[in-house]
Amino acid sequence: MSAEARRALVTLVIDGREVTVPQGATVYQAARSTGIDIPIFCYHDRMPPLGACRMCLVEVQKMPKLQTACTLEASEGMVVSTTSPAVRAAQESILELLLINHPLDCPICDKGGECPLQDQTFRYGPGRSRFVEAKRDYAKPISLGPLLALDRERCILCWRCVRFGEIIAGDDALKGFVRGFTSEIGTPLGLPVESKFIGNTIAICPVGALTSRIYRFRARPWDNEPVASTCAHCGVGCSVWLDVRGGEILRARAREEPEVNDVWLCDLGFFGHGYVAAGDRLTTPLVRREGRLYEASWDEALGLVAERLRSARERGPGRVAFLGGRRLSNEDASAAGRFFRDVVGTPHLDHRVDAPPDGASLGVSWGLRSSLDELGRGDVFVLVGCDITEEYPVLWLRIKAAIDRGASLVIVHAGRLEIRRHARCELLDRHDRLAPLVSALAAAVSGAVGAGSGAAARDDLVGEGATGDDLAAAARVIASGERVHVLLGRLALDGPAGRDLLRSADGLTRRVNGTLHIARGRGNDFGAQRFGLLPGEGGMDAPGILRGAAAGALDLLYVAGSDPATAVTDGAAWESARGGVGFLVVHEAFLSATAQAADVVLPVLVLPEKDGTITNLEGRTLTLRAAVKGPGQARADREIFDLLTARMGVAHGHGTVARIEPVAEPTAARGGASPPLILVIADRLFTQGSMTGRCRGLTDLAGTAHCLVHPADAARTGVTDLGLVELATEHASVIVQARVSDATLPGQVLVHRGYDGVPVHALVRWSPAPVGVEIWPIAPPGAPPGGGTP
Amino acid sequence: MPGLFKQSVALLRGLLITGRYLFRPPVTILYPEVKTRVAPRFKGRHWLTRYGDGIERCVGCELCVIVCPAQAIYVRAAENTPERQVSKGERHADQFQINMLRCIFCGFCEEACPTGSIVLGQDYELAGYSRASLIYTKPMLTEPYPGASGRDPGREV
Repeated sequence: MSAEARRALVTLVIDGREVTVPQGATVYQAARSTGIDIPIFCYHDRMPPLGACRMCLVEVQKMPKLQTACTLEASEGMVVSTTSPAVRAAQESILELLLINHPLDCPICDKGGECPLQDQTFRYGPGRSRFVEAKRDYAKPISLGPLLALDRERCILCWRCVRFGEIIAGDDALKGFVRGFTSEIGTPLGLPVESKFIGNTIAICPVGALTSRIYRFRARPWDNEPVASTCAHCGVGCSVWLDVRGGEILRARAREEPEVNDVWLCDLGFFGHGYVAAGDRLTTPLVRREGRLYEASWDEALGLVAERLRSARERGPGRVAFLGGRRLSNEDASAAGRFFRDVVGTPHLDHRVDAPPDGASLGVSWGLRSSLDELGRGDVFVLVGCDITEEYPVLWLRIKAAIDRGASLVIVHAGRLEIRRHARCELLDRHDRLAPLVSALAAAVSGAVGAGSGAAARDDLVGEGATGDDLAAAARVIASGERVHVLLGRLALDGPAGRDLLRSADGLTRRVNGTLHIARGRGNDFGAQRFGLLPGEGGMDAPGILRGAAAGALDLLYVAGSDPATAVTDGAAWESARGGVGFLVVHEAFLSATAQAADVVLPVLVLPEKDGTITNLEGRTLTLRAAVKGPGQARADREIFDLLTARMGVAHGHGTVARIEPVAEPTAARGGASPPLILVIADRLFTQGSMTGRCRGLTDLAGTAHCLVHPADAARTGVTDLGLVELATEHASVIVQARVSDATLPGQVLVHRGYDGVPVHALVRWSPAPVGVEIWPIAPPGAPPGGGTP
Repeated sequence: MPGLFKQSVALLRGLLITGRYLFRPPVTILYPEVKTRVAPRFKGRHWLTRYGDGIERCVGCELCVIVCPAQAIYVRAAENTPERQVSKGERHADQFQINMLRCIFCGFCEEACPTGSIVLGQDYELAGYSRASLIYTKPMLTEPYPGASGRDPGREV
């Protein structure tokens, strides 16, 4: 041990036990490291100490008064007692004090059975109260949004939830109001809480003040059987406990996994399991007869599929294509890959159903280029077209922690992100001008690296939102970074001139020796990519498959783990592909738009019903455990492929594949005058898609589809906030609610995908040029037709 | 011979006891035609009691579930709504089942109940023709009117 390391350790005595801890550790941490339990309420080991609850009082020799162990730094030679009569008396007094206003309605409280206040009162409490006066009486519970219920009577004002919003999530979702005796936690004006991490506050609340409205009264902890599994929604792959009672997943809790999600989850992870028990799950195979889907036996459905696959195989190689993979486990993806490559004999496989043909998504492999842990140790983060809290929320928690340690965040986006106040620099421009903006930034970084000082940026390359000074400042920040992480999101990759943007971003990253991450893909896209659901030699990619299908080059299209009817970013491309292909087989859990158009629909298990693994966006393999049984006759995808293999007879080897000429791409005017108002389609965390749309609470958060219009454009077009508008491109039009907001930029209208009722993909075609859009109001605010509530 | 005499005396003494009891009233009763009264603290079938105003006492807290040594109780709670205020407070038992085949009538559930809802009554005739009929559901367990179980509806807990 070096002299310096020895100096960095201190030795103290706690309850007669000698403990050696690194300098800077608190007495609480020292006690914990040797297995001595000190009761706490306000302290949480992922946040700095606060010392609000006074529960952790200990007696330290030579200190005249009792000290809070969570805030007291351990020092050499300290002698601490956690059990002396004075400490015991203090603990009893603190608990008696906390219970003065605590309603003791444990029998009806959802926290009962897993409540730190209950447990610690039992262990350290006085046993009886001397308080005979009336307790405080508040209306209970009050609802703070669709997920969170607040019971102010039970709150002991430990500030954990408030500090979670300040320190961990950075969204300041909950705040303390009023002072002293009447202090309470809440949101401004009692509005619904705005956070994507509010489930964590429920988890860390040491009493039943914050409870889940979804889980409310559904079980006690002793009813639940926890199943250790992995959340497969966004691609981060957070470890979860799924609490199962009576064959139903009642709630999800974070499972500690320091290298992925630590102890946190986002609300999609906490509440995104309702779809598993949805009443409209498919339970039997469906077969189309005379234009309608009828229930059929597995034998009939599989026989039909095998027969069509065999006849397609006989007509020549490569007349079958496979699309999808996002909702498959690694094992399913591997089985699908083997089945189509070796048994059916086709190289046309692709999981990248939502990638446009001319974007940059198809040219790169998706995912992070470093581990999440390494990412969290970066000192400059550049988010390019990546709305991190909407796409990979838990990744943001890591970046937020790094920012708190001194890292800088640079945002390059076509709109204002909710995390913008944490950014050092923000470069904004219209979606179609993002590529030139990134290239200007790359040039400026080159200049900054070369000159060692701020290089003057060319003003003509900088858009409305960003000035040359902003660009130079951002370039200086990036150039000064030692571990620069550039996250390239879907908005950037699939936007106009996405390939140019990728090239500039790559150049920029190389210049500063950083890491370029492709923040693209959800669910198990990364497992599908890893286990071969990509075009083989001579195979077509997803847009190629759709075009080939439309041109009649395919006999059979097989879809599993995807819903191309809503995922393909060109609604018409899917329509014509469906029209051009003779036979469509779909694995689905719900009668989705794709399933409705299918010839055979095979009911499948969803991921929480399967044992297996998934791959997260850093390439880590994570375990899935079957928490519940599937409905009816639904089967796992890989089992279906095994059954089909058995019915397909002798497997064909890899034959030569007839090269299918790609259908001529529509020639779009590139670099022409951009239209006055362009349409931008962005991702959202909570949507009305087939999974989140079936989760109670999350559907309320997703609300109805809306478009964001900048106030300047709104004034020009007569659009009012919350009024209904018609959005029309040259291809189609939809009616949505407008929100006037400066979260978007002038000259662009932002719409979210994922609302199956509003087919935004019908508005656009695969085209490298930005899509012009017209917008006009059709109804004043407050008069939505059909009585729908916003 | 003296042995024979001794045995005859023993026989007559025994018959004398028989003869004495022959003319006393019997201690057994002719169940089921005749039923006896049980002790006041007898633990028979369970009742879910009501307050005097008819509101259910049970709040679905599941303390009886966790204390039950035979794991005979199943409770599923639900939320009270202003339109349907089943019990006091926010919570009520939506489903309440006791498996009478498992129950050992220890009375722990009664002891654990924070609202004095569950009580063990005097009824001991709990036979049935099927296993399913011996899983008592909430409508079977809830007393039809306050006080039907024999407990005072006005008591605190």
